[in-house]
Amino acid sequence: MASLESLTEDLLVRIYKGLASDGDRKSWRLVCRDFHRIDALTRSSLRVLRVEFLRSLLANYPRLDTLDLSVCPRIDDGAVAVLLTSRGSPWAFPRAASSSLSPPGRDPLAWTRGLRKLVLSRSTGLGHHGLEQVIRACAYLESVDVSHCCGFGDREAAALSCGARLREVKMDKCLGVTDVGLAKIAVGCGRLEKVSLKWCMEIGDLGVDLLCNKCVDLKFLDLSYLKVTNDSLRSIGSLPKLEVLALVGCSLIDDTGLQFLGGGCPLLRVIDMSRCNGISSCGLISVAKGHEDLVQLNASYSLTECSSILLRCFKDLKNLNAIKIDGARVSDSAFKALSNCTSLVEIGLGKCIGATNLGLMRLVSGCVNLRVLDLTCCHSITDAAIFAISDSCRNLTCLKLESCNMITEKSLYYLGSFCLLLEELDLTDCGGINDTGLEYLSNCLELSCLKLALCPTISDKGLGHIASKCRKICEIDLYRCNGIGDDALAALSSGCKKLRRLNLSYCSDVTDRGMEYLGQLEELWDLEMRSLFNVTGVGLMALAAGCKRLADLDMKYCENVDDSGFWALAYYARNLRQEAKLVHLNKVTVEGFELALRTCWVRIKKVKLLAALRFKLSSDVRETLHSRGCKIRWD
Amino acid sequence: MDLKMDLEERLRAETWGKPSSVNDLPQRVPPDRQTQFPNFASHKNLQKREDQDPSISNYGMRIEPSFSEFNRPSECQPPLPSNPISQDRGVQMNDILQLGKTQEWDPKAMLNNLSFLEQKIHQLQELVHAIVGRRGPVLGRPDELVAQQQQLITADLTSIIIQLISTAGSLLPSVKNSLSSASTPPIRQLGQLGGILNNSGSGIGLDSNLVLPSQGGSKVPDQSNQVDPMDQSAIDNLEDHESKDDEDGDEGENLPPGSFEILQLEKEEILAPHTHFCTICGKGFKRDANLRMHMRGHGDEYKTPAALAKPHKEAGSEMMLIKRYSCPYAGCKRNKDHKKFQPLKTILCVKNHYKRTHCDKSYTCSRCNTKKFSVIADLKTHEKHCGKDKWLCSCGTTFSRKDKLFGHITLFQGHTPAIPFDENKGGLSLQGEHNEDTNKVGNVSFSFGSSTPSSGGVQNIMEDVKGNVDDPSSFFSPLSFEASNFGGFNEFTRSAFDDSEGAFSFLLQASCNYTQKNGGQSSSNNLE
Repeated sequence: MASLESLTEDLLVRIYKGLASDGDRKSWRLVCRDFHRIDALTRSSLRVLRVEFLRSLLANYPRLDTLDLSVCPRIDDGAVAVLLTSRGSPWAFPRAASSSLSPPGRDPLAWTRGLRKLVLSRSTGLGHHGLEQVIRACAYLESVDVSHCCGFGDREAAALSCGARLREVKMDKCLGVTDVGLAKIAVGCGRLEKVSLKWCMEIGDLGVDLLCNKCVDLKFLDLSYLKVTNDSLRSIGSLPKLEVLALVGCSLIDDTGLQFLGGGCPLLRVIDMSRCNGISSCGLISVAKGHEDLVQLNASYSLTECSSILLRCFKDLKNLNAIKIDGARVSDSAFKALSNCTSLVEIGLGKCIGATNLGLMRLVSGCVNLRVLDLTCCHSITDAAIFAISDSCRNLTCLKLESCNMITEKSLYYLGSFCLLLEELDLTDCGGINDTGLEYLSNCLELSCLKLALCPTISDKGLGHIASKCRKICEIDLYRCNGIGDDALAALSSGCKKLRRLNLSYCSDVTDRGMEYLGQLEELWDLEMRSLFNVTGVGLMALAAGCKRLADLDMKYCENVDDSGFWALAYYARNLRQEAKLVHLNKVTVEGFELALRTCWVRIKKVKLLAALRFKLSSDVRETLHSRGCKIRWD
Repeated sequence: MDLKMDLEERLRAETWGKPSSVNDLPQRVPPDRQTQFPNFASHKNLQKREDQDPSISNYGMRIEPSFSEFNRPSECQPPLPSNPISQDRGVQMNDILQLGKTQEWDPKAMLNNLSFLEQKIHQLQELVHAIVGRRGPVLGRPDELVAQQQQLITADLTSIIIQLISTAGSLLPSVKNSLSSASTPPIRQLGQLGGILNNSGSGIGLDSNLVLPSQGGSKVPDQSNQVDPMDQSAIDNLEDHESKDDEDGDEGENLPPGSFEILQLEKEEILAPHTHFCTICGKGFKRDANLRMHMRGHGDEYKTPAALAKPHKEAGSEMMLIKRYSCPYAGCKRNKDHKKFQPLKTILCVKNHYKRTHCDKSYTCSRCNTKKFSVIADLKTHEKHCGKDKWLCSCGTTFSRKDKLFGHITLFQGHTPAIPFDENKGGLSLQGEHNEDTNKVGNVSFSFGSSTPSSGGVQNIMEDVKGNVDDPSSFFSPLSFEASNFGGFNEFTRSAFDDSEGAFSFLLQASCNYTQKNGGQSSSNNLE
């Protein structure tokens, strides 16, 4: 320890800053008091699970600039009021640990002055009074995220507009916000640079027009799924600094509107127009001609026909590195034209009619720098195309081959031989894949995400190869892989310690033993295990005891799970909070549900239960869940 | 060629050929030369004759008489008082002179100026006629001659325009006192002259830029004769229609000053509820037509078609005037002494303008209790839409349409849309019926001044006060309530805005002002 003590504080800070993951930082905190202090002094962002500790945490971290309350299930007006009182609250938080670290006379609201970013995503319990209090208290706030607060409306928007310094507002899926609310924000926060209004279905042209008039510094604008028309694009075209524009699913805009874009927004670099049914190649040409510095262009599922003229236009865009034209009809000559865009790094060709072996070969002959290639549902491509791709594009990191039925283990051989940087591979529904193929693939040591759903031909053996070599894997999808059993899970649990997401639904061979193996995966976060008949309460108990981080659990139709498993789940899974789907569990009694819910209800946000339980569950359980902000879906 | 030389010499001989001397025109024309009318009439006759003349090919025939006419005005200086028309007019003119004794401008001089100008236009017209007549058959004329002719005509036109403007300029500031529109036919005549001159002047001004001045010149009299009746009828239409936009309607009309007659009604006259009075029983009417209908009751002599016909119609063809009105309020842009005077087109415009701009807004909307009007028609128009103004700005302005609100917000820095509290919409329809009733009462019993439609509003205020006792933002002075008499209004329906406390506190204030002003007298006295 003497050597550790000799390290000066700033050296420790430098070391601390090298820590990448939350887990490592947690370990660091636990080393000793000095390390804990370094953590406290250096830490700039905080993501809180429990609102009970928030006050003391805020007092302990003076450098905090980012506060994330998105996983705090119930932050409401009352909690905010208590948080913002300058005196000690009547229901005093445990401050014993913090009092030794923080000077006693410090202003308990000091954190409000340092805070720059506040994430209140999914804070459905917060009302406009509380929100306004927070925004007013944090005078230097620059970024606020209230996305997925579905109940938010104009009043909440008005509360946000109190933050005059705000540069970034994210309000995706605030369903109640109308043009009026947006006008409030536009007038109140004139410095806005990033605004995301995705799924704010009530917002229309007038609001957008006003926003563009009042907030001329806008750099990022997301209007996805809004009912905006060309009028909005006309106003958007007048924004001098806009760089990123997302118009996903704006079906009311057409080529005329895109001409406004083509003539305006001189700095536009990224534009996403996917699922805009009204646009055609003509509109895209006007956009492409107006913006030579375009970097990303997403027009997936917008075009029915992708003309060669359009693709030739792309040649002039020297910086273009990503283009998505999923769903369009593409000819071989178009591929030829596209191959001239040597700067391309990412191409999306999902569901493109006419994406053939020949076309792809032409494409990759030019675009050798490709890293991401999406060939979802290009049914006609075969191993030959994969050979050409892997041979030309050695830097490929992501390849999506979902539903490419013609490819076989040869393709995986090519990938395993040439594309050693591959990180993500989607082989969903590729019936030609077998264990040999997976063995070839295991050469791709960087692999982190592997989707093998609906590949019934693979077995424990093949997955064993992957698990033994691809140690970086954090996500595996084995949905309906009937050949998978407990041995595969054993291999995964020993090889892929970083696994965070796993889908085992309908892998009916998995038993309690497999669950025990899974219990060794400490990082496991999201587990889907529908319809595993052979798993009982014992297996669930083992899982719950081991996977402390488990947050999302789907155990629909696990009919043999009984109360004992539930109790264990309730006891151990302290983090289980966001979603639990607990339906069709015949053996679990009402008491079991009640117990589980009672223990979890502080944290749980969303639960899906069988409709029959509605009347069986005691009313106070339901009411308490409700009052804590938990959503119950009855199935 | 001789003809042409002759022309030129004559023109040179005339004083008006020198554009430099236009300003001392009044000295040149003796003030007592009142008798230009017979000349004018004869010119008109001549013109008619020429137009009807079928022998167009006989140019010599046409030119000769025109020249004799041309020379006459300047040669026969002594007037011809034998003309009965001129005598008649002279008498009227004397009346005018007596009327305008106190004023500093001399209508005689003005008349002379105008007559003089008219004379010159006719001379020019005939000159152009002559040119037209000669150009047709003799195509082989040298170009320089044509150019000379053009120069000549252009110079003449320029001098006419300059004189016209200077005349107008001398006229404008001098018109001050009000002259009743009905009692001033000579002034109308004068204005008509001015109008003709103006029209012809502008016609020349326009055409002088073109290559063919002859066309413009020959057109002039026709144009003036045609345009004026149209104007007159247009004004009639306006009066009939009771247009509301009258004030703004004439913004674009660019009548040069002096080209129209300016009338100014006195304040009392403007605010008088009735303008037409029965000579027998003294009953007053707003419209002349109503008076005529009323007159039928006084005897059969008033039932004849002639008595029932519109009185001004037959005069319209002869007395073609452009009448414009001045607001009696000093300093108003519509006042004739204003630097950028913009005249009002009709008497109705004057009335509405005066009430809107210079009178208290005594009619308060009983629905919103915030909008006030001084013209009852405005109130009615507003009430048609009131309640539909659900788009509210933070500044208190309401809009019936969302895009209007957003346009407003775009325009004004710092304004934001106000988020309405949940309103009770139920009371609105009832409230509307009630309003109509009270409006009717108001129309029947009071034509002017404070009236009743606001009585519902009074009730609203009372209700609002009850609802807002604990709201600090809606402060009321209880005195203002006691000052106004609310007796007998308890049967009225509750306000639509009962439960909208904070958002409408400003409305309450406004309505409070209203009650202080005239709520008591109007409502309590008149509704029983």
